[in-house]
Amino acid sequence: MSKLGHVVEAVENYNRFVEDEVKRARSDKKFGRQMLERWDEIKRNIKIGTAPTGLKLPRLALPEIDEAGDITRYLLGEGLPGEFPYLSGAYREMYLEPWQEPKIELGSFEKNGRKKNGQNKNGHAENGASGLTKPKQAEEPTRLFSGLMLAEDTNKRFHFLSAHQRSKRLSTAFDGVTLYGIDSDADGVLGKIGEGGVAVDTVEDMMRLYDGFELGSPNFSASMTISGPAPIIMAMYIAAAKRRFGPEVVPNLRGTIQADIFKEVQAQNETIFPTEASLRFLGDMMEWTTRHMPRWYPVSISGYHIGEAGSTPVQQAAYTLSNGFAYAEMMAKRGLSADEFGPRLSFFLDCGLDVEYIALTRVSRRIWAIGMRDVFGAGPKAQLFKVHTQTSGRSLIAAEFRNNLTRTAAELMLAYMNGTNSSHSNSADEPFTTPSEEWIRLSAHSQAILLEESGIFKHVMNMLSGSPGMKAVERAVEAAILEEFRQIESLGGVMGAVENRYQRSQIQNAAHRYEEQIYNGTRPMIALNKYRNEHEEMPEFELARTPRAKQQLQVHRLQQFKKKNAKKAEQALEKLIGVVETDENCFPALMEAAEVCSLGQIVTRLQEVVGRFRPMV
Amino acid sequence: MSAPVRILTAVPICDGHDSAINTINLEFIRHGIEVVYLGFHRYAGDIVRAAIQEDVGAIGISSYNGGHVEFFAEVVRQLKKYNAADIKVFGGGGGTITHDDQRIMQRNGVDKIFFAGTSLGDMTQWVRQRYGTARKRSLGKSPDMKLARKLTEIEDSYAQRKRPRKKSAAKRHSLGKTRVLGFTGPGGAGKTTLIDEIVLRLLQREPKASVAILSHDPSVVGAGALLGDRATMINSQDDRVFMRSMATRGQAGGLSPATEDCLALLAQSDFDYVIIETVGTGQEAMPFQSKLIDQTVLVMNPDYGARLQLQKIVMLDLADIVVVNKSDLDRAKTAANEIERRLEGSKREQRLISTVAKRHRDRGVDKLCDLLMEKK
Repeated sequence: MSKLGHVVEAVENYNRFVEDEVKRARSDKKFGRQMLERWDEIKRNIKIGTAPTGLKLPRLALPEIDEAGDITRYLLGEGLPGEFPYLSGAYREMYLEPWQEPKIELGSFEKNGRKKNGQNKNGHAENGASGLTKPKQAEEPTRLFSGLMLAEDTNKRFHFLSAHQRSKRLSTAFDGVTLYGIDSDADGVLGKIGEGGVAVDTVEDMMRLYDGFELGSPNFSASMTISGPAPIIMAMYIAAAKRRFGPEVVPNLRGTIQADIFKEVQAQNETIFPTEASLRFLGDMMEWTTRHMPRWYPVSISGYHIGEAGSTPVQQAAYTLSNGFAYAEMMAKRGLSADEFGPRLSFFLDCGLDVEYIALTRVSRRIWAIGMRDVFGAGPKAQLFKVHTQTSGRSLIAAEFRNNLTRTAAELMLAYMNGTNSSHSNSADEPFTTPSEEWIRLSAHSQAILLEESGIFKHVMNMLSGSPGMKAVERAVEAAILEEFRQIESLGGVMGAVENRYQRSQIQNAAHRYEEQIYNGTRPMIALNKYRNEHEEMPEFELARTPRAKQQLQVHRLQQFKKKNAKKAEQALEKLIGVVETDENCFPALMEAAEVCSLGQIVTRLQEVVGRFRPMV
Repeated sequence: MSAPVRILTAVPICDGHDSAINTINLEFIRHGIEVVYLGFHRYAGDIVRAAIQEDVGAIGISSYNGGHVEFFAEVVRQLKKYNAADIKVFGGGGGTITHDDQRIMQRNGVDKIFFAGTSLGDMTQWVRQRYGTARKRSLGKSPDMKLARKLTEIEDSYAQRKRPRKKSAAKRHSLGKTRVLGFTGPGGAGKTTLIDEIVLRLLQREPKASVAILSHDPSVVGAGALLGDRATMINSQDDRVFMRSMATRGQAGGLSPATEDCLALLAQSDFDYVIIETVGTGQEAMPFQSKLIDQTVLVMNPDYGARLQLQKIVMLDLADIVVVNKSDLDRAKTAANEIERRLEGSKREQRLISTVAKRHRDRGVDKLCDLLMEKK
C-alpha cells in the first residue's frame, strides 16, 4: 500500500474517532462535562466587534448547540478556525480586521494594517500574535505576476508594479521556450521568444531579471512559475543571487518555485524528462533547499492546471492532494521528517463556478491535515494546507467578455468562503491576451472590494461556514475525493496511476463532457449559449508582442555567453552527468553547471543520460 | 464509397495546450474524419514531414502560446519548399489569435483561422467540405511524397472498392536488403513505445539506415479514426524514418484491407527496415499472414490474467520473438516463467525477452534490437 492508501484509512479512522467521541460525550458524564466547560470557555473569550454602522457582532460565530455530543462533533470534526483538522480555517482570524482595543483612538488606524493579521500570502505566520494587539504592518497579499519579452523588460515591469509596495513580491512567468528547457538559439523557436513570459537562457538573464531588488532581504520574495526545468532554473536563480550578493545570501532567499512535475504529466504537458528522472531531479532540489534555504518553497503543488485542463473540482482536489502526499512520501524516503519538509509544501488551486467550489479547499485542508498528522507524523506547522487560489481562466469567455468580471467576482467570493491564504483574480480580458493594465486594475480591485469594502469577511469568522448547505457539499466532496484516492491506490499509487494515464484520461473525459455540455446547452454560459448577442463585434486589443529585434538580441547574447564559457561549460556538464549516473544528490553539481551553462545545454546533456519525455496522448 | 478525409492535427513547439485539440479531434473522428494526431510541443519541421508522409488533405494547428504568426508561416513555407502546398493549413487559438493576425496569416498562405465561439459542428462541417473533395495533387519531387501518394492511391482504391482483395505479387526474395519486422500484441502492452525505442537504436547503430513504419489504429465503428502513434513515437520523427498511420477501416484482426499492398510497396522501396505494427489484438488474432515479413514479435503485458489464458493466445505459437514488456512490474517474473513454459510446448526456436521500453537505454530493448538486426 502506498501512503495514499494509508491516508484513506487515516481519514476514515478519524471520522470514526469523531463519532466515537460524540458517543462518549453523551455516555461518559465526566467527558461530557469537560466538553461543555470548554465550549463555555470558548464562547466567553469571543470578542465583540463593531461594524461601521455601529452594529455589535461577535468576531467568531459558533453553531447554536449546547449538547455535549454535538459540541464534540463540531470541535473535533471541524475544529475552530486555526485548530485541527482546520476545516473552518487555517488561522484564527484570517481576513478579520485587526482587533482594536476599544480605547485606542480611531485615528491611529493604519490603512494597510487590516490585512489578515500576521500572515503573509503563503500563509506562514510570521508574527504569532493573533489579533489581540495592533499588528506590525503586514505584507500586502498581492503577488505581482509578470513576464514579458526579455529579462530587462520584465525587470522594468517589476519595478513599475512594485514601486509603491513595502514588500516586493514578484511572480515570474517564463516564455514557452524556457518552460520547455530549450535555448533561444535553437531552430524553429525564434517567434516564441519572450511570448507569454520572459525569456531566460542563462544566469546572466536571471541577474538582469531581478536587477535592483535585494534578493536576500526579508521583504523580497520571488515566485517562479515553471515546472519542467525547475531544478535548473532554481540553480540559476541561486547562482545569480550568489553573483550579486555573495554565497551568504543563500539561506535568506525567499520565494516559491512551482516545480510540480506530477501535474505537468497529468495535465499541463510542460515536461522535459521521463517522469521518474524528473522526480529525481526535483527531489534532489527539494531536499537541498529544505536543508539550506529554510524560507524557500521548492514546490507549489498545483491543482490549477488540472482544473484548467478540464477536470471536475473533485478530480482537481483529489489529484492535487494525492500528488502532495506523493511528494511527502518522496521526502520522507530521503530521511527528512515531516516537520522539516511539511512547512515547505504549499498548494495552488483553481476556483470556478461549480457548486463543489463552495467547500473544495475546506475539505482539502482537512484531508491534508489528517494525512500529514496521522500518516506522516507531522506537528501543527506541517499539517497546514497553505493555499493560493486563482479564479478560473477556463470559465472566462470571449463573448461579451465584460461578464467575466462577474464570473471572477463570484469565484473570488467562493475562494474566500474557503479561507484561501491568498488569491489571484483573473482579468476579464484574459480570453484574448495577456491582461492589460486597465483590466488588471479592475480584477485587483475586486479582491479589495470583497475583503475591505464589503462586510462579508472582515467582521465575523465562520460567517458562511457550518451552514447546512456547506456541510452537505463538504460531506459529498470528501467522500468523492476519498473514492478517487482509492482508484489511484488500486493502480499502485500516484506513480502507477500516472503510468496508466489514469488522471490524464479522467481529466480529458471531464473536459469533453464540459465542452459537450456547453454545446448542447445543459451548461449555461451566459452570452455564449444563452442570451447571446448575435450582433456582437469582437473587441480588438493591443497585444504585447515581442519585437523581432529583441528576439534576435536574446539569441545573440546567448551565443556570446556560450562562446565565453565553452570550455568551463563542458567541464561542468561532464561533472554533472558524472553525479547524475550515481545515486548522489545532483543539485550541487547543477548549481555549478548553472554558472557557466545555458538552460538548453544542461537539458540536452541530461536528456542524453535519462532520456526525453514521451508524451501520453 | 469515397475515401475518408485525412487530416493531421498538432500543437506548436513550446506549447502544451492540448485540451482544445483533443476535443476537436474527437468531434472530427465522430464525423468520419481520420485524424493523424502529432501531439503537443511539435516543431514545424516535424509537422510538415508527417503531413507529407501521411499525405493528409490539411494540417490543423491549435496554438495558444503565442508566436502563431511566425509558426503558421513557417509550416506553410516548408510545405511550399517540398512542393506540397496542396496540403492546406488551418487552425485556431481561442482569443489569442486576433483578426489582425488572421489577416496576416491568410496573406501568408494559411487557409482558415477559427475564432473563439465557433461551434465544433460548424468547424467539422467546414473541414469536411473543404478538404473532403479530391484535391489537385502535385506529384511531388521528394521520394517521401511520391511514396506517400502511392500509398494513398492504394488505400483509396480499397475504400472505393475498386481493387479486388488479392495477395501481393511481391516475393520475399525480390526485396533485397530490406528486413520486414511485424509487431503485434494486446492493447496497452507498450508496442508503440517499444518500436520507437527500436527505431532509436537502429538509427544510432546504423548511421545510414532508413526505416519505414506502417502503424495501425482502429477505426471507430461507422466513423473516422484517431491515428495517434506519432505523438508517442518521439524518436521516429526523423528524416530517415518514413512513417505511415493507417486506420483499420472496418477490418477485424489488427490490420487494414490495404495493408498487404501498402506493405509490399514499402518493402520494395529500398528501406533497410520496414516495421509494421498492428492495433491491439485479441487472443485469436494472427495478423501476419504475409510472406513478406521476416520476423514477427509478440509484445505481451505481464498482466494477461491466469496462466490458462496463455494457452489461448495463438500468436504465442507463431511469433519468432516474444517480448514481456513492463518487466519492472511485480508480476513480470512470474509472467516470463509462465510464458517460457508455454513456448517450450510449441517446439519452435522462439526467443523470449523481457523489456522495460519506457526506461531509457533499457538492456532488454538493446537485446531485442540485436536479435532484430541479426542477418539470417
